[in-house]
Amino acid sequence: MDKETVSTIAHLSRLSLENEKGDKLISDLEEILEFVDQLNDANTENVDPLSSPLEMTARLRNDDLNSKDRKSKFLSNAPDSNEDYFLVPRVVE
Amino acid sequence: MSWETTIGLEIHVQLSTKTKLFSGASTQFGSNPNTQVDYVDLGLPGVLPVPNREAFNKAIMFGLATNSTINSISFFDRKNYFYPDLPKGYQITQMNKPIVENGEIAIYVDNKEKIINITRAHLEEDAGKSVHDLFDGKTGVDLNRAGTPLLEIVSEPEISSPEEAVAYFKAIHQLVTYLDICDGNMSQGSMRCDVNVSIKKPEDTELGTRAELKNINSFRFIDRAIRHEVNRQIKLLEKGEKIVQETRLYDSDKNETRSMRSKEAANDYRYFPEPDLLPIVIDQNEINEIKNNMPELPKAKVSRYIDVFNLDEADAKIIATSKEMSKMFETAAAESMNPQLAARWLIGEVNALLNKDNVLLSESKLEINNFSALIIRINDETISGKIAKTVLEKIWETGDTVDSIIESEGLVQIKDSGLIEEICNKVVSDNPDQVAAYRAGKDKLFGFFVGQVMKESKGKANPKNVNEVLKKLLS
Repeated sequence: MDKETVSTIAHLSRLSLENEKGDKLISDLEEILEFVDQLNDANTENVDPLSSPLEMTARLRNDDLNSKDRKSKFLSNAPDSNEDYFLVPRVVE
Repeated sequence: MSWETTIGLEIHVQLSTKTKLFSGASTQFGSNPNTQVDYVDLGLPGVLPVPNREAFNKAIMFGLATNSTINSISFFDRKNYFYPDLPKGYQITQMNKPIVENGEIAIYVDNKEKIINITRAHLEEDAGKSVHDLFDGKTGVDLNRAGTPLLEIVSEPEISSPEEAVAYFKAIHQLVTYLDICDGNMSQGSMRCDVNVSIKKPEDTELGTRAELKNINSFRFIDRAIRHEVNRQIKLLEKGEKIVQETRLYDSDKNETRSMRSKEAANDYRYFPEPDLLPIVIDQNEINEIKNNMPELPKAKVSRYIDVFNLDEADAKIIATSKEMSKMFETAAAESMNPQLAARWLIGEVNALLNKDNVLLSESKLEINNFSALIIRINDETISGKIAKTVLEKIWETGDTVDSIIESEGLVQIKDSGLIEEICNKVVSDNPDQVAAYRAGKDKLFGFFVGQVMKESKGKANPKNVNEVLKKLLS
């Protein structure tokens, strides 16, 4: 774990990072990783990967329409919008 | 230096369900922005996704039709990235255990068959749409499409030319429209594809570094984008430079590909099992029921065409692979009572026109009934084969009906034996030297006389009658 990794993770998560906190974060994250690393001691031979801790399976729904137009309500929650669209700072490709 | 091209395709097929993959909002195309959005699509706190059974049914149909493994247990994963048209900050997709794996599909290039293996086909949700050019300095986001079910079909890198890539894309297009799991409407984005391209020398055992071409949505662009990309890679390697593994955007206006993302922002999607969804279990009874309700597949059609209509296997395959073409064939075969003739015209002339313009039958102006009419007119000898070709080309351009073209262009075949005799007489008396030579034993000249008569009659004389009359006159 180094500074660069921490800042990459912060960037991917869209978190801003104050510089002086970087070192503290490195040691925190290392401790967490070390703790989780204990899992590698478990013998997982012949054990299927677990996709959910609940011993249940999903219920599927029928393809029935059950939603309505809530455009104005949703748009009014957004920081910026016009009568049709959510507006965000220009995303340039 | 010679290079081998290796291509793999990832095709996103929009499944034609009424509602979204995880919410009950409509998937209707073309509605006003943001009017088909549910709490779930917005990713508001406290909501949970519930999978749409019909999306699974459609994915399973695809799996059955491609001899794939249907995984009785599949589950969803989270793919994390930030983009304004992805409200949750992640896409729900199937990474580790897709519903469909290990299938195959046949493609045809120059009427030759090749099997392309399908690695996997998984369900995922589509993102919304960003509009960059409508609002001053801002990007508008329309979330109507967010959550629409997609089936992403991934091929093995077994495609070795632009022609094969187009044929593969067409084969998938034909199959999903056959199965009625996708409307196949390319201009509305119902099918889009990413193309992975790499080149290597024939003696190399490992594949070269690949570039990924994003979001191509027409047959012609697939062909052009691959050609362009292969040339770019050859130039680089022959200059001794290296290919960078990256995503490139194909610009159809400039006919070039350019790099889309800098290395700095290298993708790291941090996949993990989707905690909001439980594993999906499909039992064999459900699969059997879907199987029983599937439309007749190309394979079954092929054997029926061979048995009932006496077609060659190769011909039957070409016709049966396309839902539109098989409909056209069956209608024309029944109405003209001449299936062989209908098949010959579809495989020959119609196919040639399709390839020339790189379009699908459904996109062309040739309608089922009009094709039937054309075959009937050839069969009852109203027009000759040669004229019929002209008529077909006219239909291709204008979409006018066969009979109106025949009438307005005065193309009815001359079967009036008096008129034919008159023309033949004229040709014989106009060419005394050739007549003498023919009578002296130069049999090959017979074709010359037929040609002259056809020219005189502007191609409208019935060749059979012409042959008979000329034989009599020249003997």
